[in-house]
Amino acid sequence: MNKTSTYRKSDILRELNSIIAVAARDIIIFFKSPGMMIMSIVMPLIMMGMIGGNMMGIPGGESLGEFMLVGMLVSMLLMVTIMGMASLVDDHETDFTQEMLVSPMSRYSLVIGKIIGSTFVAIISMIGTLIIGLVMNIVLSIDQLLLILLLSPLICFVGGAVSMILMGLIKSKKTANFAMMIITMPQMFLSGAIIPINDSNLLLLVLSRIMPMTYCVDLVRGVTGIQPPMFSPLTNFAAIILLTFVCLVIGTVLFARSEKNR
Amino acid sequence: MSNNVIEVKNLVKRYKGTKKLSIDDISFSVKKNEFFAFLGPNGAGKTTTISILTTTLGKTSGEVKIAGLDINKHDRAIRKKIGIIFQKPSLDIQLTAEENIRFHACIYGVFNYMPTFKLMPKAYRDKVMELTKVVGIDSDALFKSVKKLSGGMQRKLEIVRSLIHTPEVLFLDEPTQGLDAESRRSLWKYIDKVRKQLGTTIFLTTHYIDEAENADNVCIINNGKIAACSSPEKLKESLLKQELILDAKNRDGLIAELSSLNLHFTVNKHIIVPYNKSPQKILAQLKTELSVLKIHEPTLEDAYIEFLKKNNKMEA
Repeated sequence: MNKTSTYRKSDILRELNSIIAVAARDIIIFFKSPGMMIMSIVMPLIMMGMIGGNMMGIPGGESLGEFMLVGMLVSMLLMVTIMGMASLVDDHETDFTQEMLVSPMSRYSLVIGKIIGSTFVAIISMIGTLIIGLVMNIVLSIDQLLLILLLSPLICFVGGAVSMILMGLIKSKKTANFAMMIITMPQMFLSGAIIPINDSNLLLLVLSRIMPMTYCVDLVRGVTGIQPPMFSPLTNFAAIILLTFVCLVIGTVLFARSEKNR
Repeated sequence: MSNNVIEVKNLVKRYKGTKKLSIDDISFSVKKNEFFAFLGPNGAGKTTTISILTTTLGKTSGEVKIAGLDINKHDRAIRKKIGIIFQKPSLDIQLTAEENIRFHACIYGVFNYMPTFKLMPKAYRDKVMELTKVVGIDSDALFKSVKKLSGGMQRKLEIVRSLIHTPEVLFLDEPTQGLDAESRRSLWKYIDKVRKQLGTTIFLTTHYIDEAENADNVCIINNGKIAACSSPEKLKESLLKQELILDAKNRDGLIAELSSLNLHFTVNKHIIVPYNKSPQKILAQLKTELSVLKIHEPTLEDAYIEFLKKNNKMEA
């Protein structure tokens, strides 16, 4: 008993250990839920099949193949991460949140761990999108795939951070699901992930500029050479980091406050 | 330096959107290594108090110190020193029992996370096996999904989880709810051992008043206010008299004898004679042959009910 009670390590290592435990929990749950595994593959298949199929059918649509596949990959990464973060509402409903909040781990570690867990699931979901891309004869090179894989944690982090703002305000699963759709669907269409946004009106243009997905899609398309980017990679990168930081701080504070200040 | 590990001064809690105070200006302290019981009816404010002390709920006003640390300034440091068994189950039913314990041990920084039980350090595995044996979780159940475990087994699992990081102060919010008698006894035996070996302070709320009989101090809370705070013995003494229950074939003779000794008594089914110190003195003076002789020692439950009645009358 004494051995465990006097066990000491630096705070940073302790937080890292907590982050790993939180992330591992989400990954374990993912592998234990066949429904979740199937959905993570099927959902991109449906989205890509539906939207991609229609787009490819219009005159000149064939040239949009790579453009759309990359857009869809980024959209799915963001969407699946955001939906994964909604499990915090499940934890609240089953009172598991109190087990985490009464522990000495930092609230930021909890949130970062959740984002990493959701990132893993989101990256798995890329497989579905790539399969349907293959079926539609849209193939990305290994270099392009590796670049996307390399950037995927960044994309997932901004998605997770944005969703934390909602998690701090929402306590019911029903509302959370609805809110997730509200923050993901407009981004899919306004960010240029699916359709080009060059000719958008002023309002849509402004909206697109405050959406993290715009910078994610532009960054990925730019570095993979699929489309000349609207912004330089550095600008995109800086915008994503800034949005992640701001949303993560606000979201975590809101989440912690909502649990404590009842 | 104060020996108090928990210090609560003028604590007030009002939930958002409510007018009534859930906790109304309560003060108490708990010494290191003390077994402290917090008793009260449903809705009295026990869980609200425990939630504030464990930093999961904000207070409206007042001062709270745990292990000398102010709850406003050092909440994370406090969380390292405490453990809790919640009133409502707070397990992840999608994980196995062991995965729940491992998760807890890792977020408390006691052990480094490893993806399987076998890969976890030997100290962790030994501790898990020791604790599960104490509460009666067999190794089959340990690796089963929590959703396949009975309610009682889930409760046992929560107990193991709360003890895995050997906290300085252990908060137990109705810990034995749903446990069978054998598991309850086994658990209390272990908690007593933990307390003696490690000097762990125990803060208990319970509906089983008999569990508080061995407490060093008991606080009774009612309608958010402290109704009484003392040792179980003093609480019993202050309210209830001990009684001799007597009867005889020659009941009239016994009544006459008690009257001649100037003893106060009441006659119901039997003759009830209250006494303060020792029944020996009374018995030695009686010459009538007794057919019934019982000594009624009041329990903490008797005292608890009396205090609540008294408190409710005062509030009315």
